[in-house]
Amino acid sequence: MLSTLIQKELKGIILSPKFTATFAICSILILLSVFTGIREYEAVSDQYDSATSLVEQELQDESNWGHMSTRSIRKPDPMQIFVSGLTYDIGRWSHVESTRPIKLKHSPYSDDPIFAMFRHIDFVFIFQFVLSLFAILFTFDAINGERESGMLKLVFSNSIPRAKYLIAKIIGSWLGLILPISIPILLSILLVIIMGVPMNAIHWATLATLIALSVLMFTFFISLGVAISAWTKRSSVSFLLSLVIWVMFVLIIPRASVAAAEQMVPVPRISEIESIREAYANDRWKTFYDISEERWMTSSNMNEEESEEERDRAMWDNMVLEDSLRRIVEIEIEEYEVRLLEELRQRKAGQERLAFGFSRISPSSAYQLAASGLAGTDIEMKDRFEESMSQFRSSFVDFTEKKQAESGNTGGIMISISTETGIDIKDGSDNSALDLTDIPKYEQPRRSYAQAFNSTIIDFGLLAFATLLMFVASFIGFLRYDVR
Amino acid sequence: MINEISKQPSPMLQTNNLTKRYEDGVLALDSLTLEVNPGELFVMLGGNGAGKTTTINLFLNFIEPTSGEASINGIVTHKEPLEAKKHVAFVSENVMLYQNFTAIQNLDFFSKIGGHSDLSRDDYRDVLNRVGLAEDAHNKRLKGFSKGMRQKCGIAIAILKDAPAILLDEPTAGLDPKAGYEFIRLLDSLRSENKAILMSTHDIFRAKEIADTIAIMDSGRMIMKEPAANLADQNLEELYLQYMAGHDTKAAG
Ligand SMILES: Nc1ncnc2c1ncn2[C@@H]1O[C@H](COP(=O)(O)OP(=O)(O)OP(=O)(O)O)[C@@H](O)[C@H]1O
Ligand SMILES: [Mg+2]
Repeated sequence: MLSTLIQKELKGIILSPKFTATFAICSILILLSVFTGIREYEAVSDQYDSATSLVEQELQDESNWGHMSTRSIRKPDPMQIFVSGLTYDIGRWSHVESTRPIKLKHSPYSDDPIFAMFRHIDFVFIFQFVLSLFAILFTFDAINGERESGMLKLVFSNSIPRAKYLIAKIIGSWLGLILPISIPILLSILLVIIMGVPMNAIHWATLATLIALSVLMFTFFISLGVAISAWTKRSSVSFLLSLVIWVMFVLIIPRASVAAAEQMVPVPRISEIESIREAYANDRWKTFYDISEERWMTSSNMNEEESEEERDRAMWDNMVLEDSLRRIVEIEIEEYEVRLLEELRQRKAGQERLAFGFSRISPSSAYQLAASGLAGTDIEMKDRFEESMSQFRSSFVDFTEKKQAESGNTGGIMISISTETGIDIKDGSDNSALDLTDIPKYEQPRRSYAQAFNSTIIDFGLLAFATLLMFVASFIGFLRYDVR
Repeated sequence: MINEISKQPSPMLQTNNLTKRYEDGVLALDSLTLEVNPGELFVMLGGNGAGKTTTINLFLNFIEPTSGEASINGIVTHKEPLEAKKHVAFVSENVMLYQNFTAIQNLDFFSKIGGHSDLSRDDYRDVLNRVGLAEDAHNKRLKGFSKGMRQKCGIAIAILKDAPAILLDEPTAGLDPKAGYEFIRLLDSLRSENKAILMSTHDIFRAKEIADTIAIMDSGRMIMKEPAANLADQNLEELYLQYMAGHDTKAAG
């Protein structure tokens, strides 16, 4: 009995005229997105390879350990094919040297990561925007459409429990939509294998989890459509209603959350931060000069009859004092700036957290956050890379400084005059090539599957909960549904 | 004892002081009591809003009675709906069926949920031939079917269920005369298979032609019930209008 009902739903979907067109569009989109994703990944990988060998060449051409610099380059990851996330929004490489902190450069897009999250057509985009609509389109009239055609009356003139019918309806619609979609998904996986994308075990596990997550999100929209159709009498009403809810979930809530978070946690602009710093610095310097002027005045007015020697010494002391005071002011200003930037970072992080927190009201956002977290192309991607690059920077700088010390070379120009050898000028370069065997190499940040998965648990849970809620709503709606 | 009872035909379809007042206060059915025995074709006549559909909906437990009860084969429908529905087949006014399925596919689905998973394509073909659906339409999608063709599928589904009771709500509405005639012949043959048939209709002539019992409903009440034989010599249309007018004056007075 159950299988008869399930089969009927499944056939109902597959035989419906809108099915072929929608299915074709979705298949083409999925395959196209994976294909272009792979091509882009290959292109970026090529760039990565040539840039890495260039960096190695540059190191080999160095002749001096002093102030040696290099570059760390972000390696593309196969998961970006499916979830591009911030991949294309954050810089590809950074300078690595003792005098400058790590900063990722060469970003082709804006560096506002929150908005950047909602761009790019990839696997996740297609599920989030296209397939969710697909799910709604096939389920918005699941119940009320059958009422309108009188089919509920005819079906329930038979000895059929409602719960059974609804379960069959959900399972049947689910299979009817999932089975066809699994074809382009399997073909995409085949494409990944054929085109030789270097996927390791972690990548495969992550991809499998991503597909499971996508199916869960898809299931949510199916159950949402069924729930709406079980709470409305007319399919025209449920069509509008589900469209409005879809727009809310997919388009409005993610953007509104960002806007709301911006209102609630304002983050000052960099230029504002700079002017605050400037004002503070001016203020500090003014006090400093006022005080030092006063000091000079008092010291020069004192003891006219002192000896010149004593006056010189007093002046010298004053100058030493002033110099150390000046340094203190400089350090204070520097610390103040660090504090300001840290505060800015904190605020930004707070704003992001708030924005994501709000947006999780929408299962569609939760899906996107989970997917990018899984693939490692999430909002923390930049931090992860900059952190690993900073670690590399310190080991690199340590290493080169140690080497320089070992070579007894200060890096400056050394002129030695000897009666035996005459004048000898050293410019600090060792004439022989440097021994680079032990030089630290930049290691890409590593994430285990468990780490990747853990970052998605909340969103996974939210999605599952929302889906369950829709099931319950469908049941309550349908058990009391007027079939006439 | 048991034998004695079974000798007396117990009514297959029965209502007992069945009353339905809708949530908005409309008294759609007022203490209706009727019986339909196996082999009896009971026709309900009555104007729009008389309560015919309400009666059928109560038999099928689509709505709960306010008081009284309806039973099928002795099973009270609102107490054991799933059990009661095993014994009844239903044909509605405008059978849409699954538009993307063929006639055979529709029959297959409904016979399975009607409790007959043992039927073959030949059985479906036979019953479609019996109801007069042309062979070349058997494997066509319902989408292009006329109302008459759909109605034929609807009665085919009811026949396949092979239930002892059949409920029909204005099954001939909108059918052309030939299709209407064929439909009535089918009912006749079903009656001869000892089915208890309750049908609502606005078609007084057909009612008189085929019914065993004719009832006239008005404002939720049965204002007349006669064996059709008793009405053989009368002009039923005149009688119908007379009754309605009489009831109106009674109601007004
Ligand atoms: N869901 C409902 N809520 C409120 N009132 C209803 C509802 N359904 C029917 N009614 C009312 O109940 C009364 C009986 O309606 P019913 O549909 O049983 O009449 P009917 O005899 O089938 O009429 P028709 O010949 O037009 O089909 C009417 O007055 C109708 O307005
Ligand atoms: Mg009616």
